[in-house]
Amino acid sequence: MPPNDFKTDLIAEMPNLRAFGVSLCGSASMADDLVQETLLRAWSKWDKFQPGTSLRAWLFTILRNIYYSNCRKSVREVQDSDGAYAQRLVVPGDQESHVDLEDFRKALTKLPVEQREVLILVGASGVSYEEAAAICGVEVGTIKSRLSRARSQLVAILGWGARTEARGERSKLRRAG
Amino acid sequence: MSQSNLNINQHQDEAQLDDRVVETIGRALRAHYDDLVDAPLPDRFFELLAELERRERDTAGRPGGSDAAK
Repeated sequence: MPPNDFKTDLIAEMPNLRAFGVSLCGSASMADDLVQETLLRAWSKWDKFQPGTSLRAWLFTILRNIYYSNCRKSVREVQDSDGAYAQRLVVPGDQESHVDLEDFRKALTKLPVEQREVLILVGASGVSYEEAAAICGVEVGTIKSRLSRARSQLVAILGWGARTEARGERSKLRRAG
Repeated sequence: MSQSNLNINQHQDEAQLDDRVVETIGRALRAHYDDLVDAPLPDRFFELLAELERRERDTAGRPGGSDAAK
């Protein structure tokens, strides 16, 4: 039976686990299934976790493996018909003002999953490049090049011409601030 | 082989994004992610853990098989 501190830490990581799952598969209900399965596996394999390493990275690895082995195809179909996937989860009234978050989310869903997961892992979830590389089973260099490709594709999808648009975003930010 | 999804500006120069664009993307990513982190969790996650804990406690409470069942 997992010790109490493992359980406490597991519960503390659930919001991140879910955020990663939703970002990965693009469907809230499917993400919940992924998280549930991840919790089950983490519970039964708790002794495989190495204390002192990142529990978050360990859990992300489990969730990602389940996603890639079980759900990928069906998830894609759902994702395409469910572009506004995250809206239901979002607490309204608390958005960054300078970028339309819904536009951004839609653009995210259009990225290849290999790029999206790296953006989320490194850019938002707080895992390191090294941890992201371990989670994805690739070299750190691959993480960096995927990250850079992902950013370029986002810019293309969002129709931000590099410099002019950056200035536009800034002036919007000034106005909003 | 997975079909390539990389057809949008696949060969666009990747190194030359404006720093402010990178920064804007970073902020939007965190806003997206933080919204998800802050969303309420479904009860079933907690129910699952409680159930797993209950099961383990029951097993642990019956050393060498259950006397109560006899």
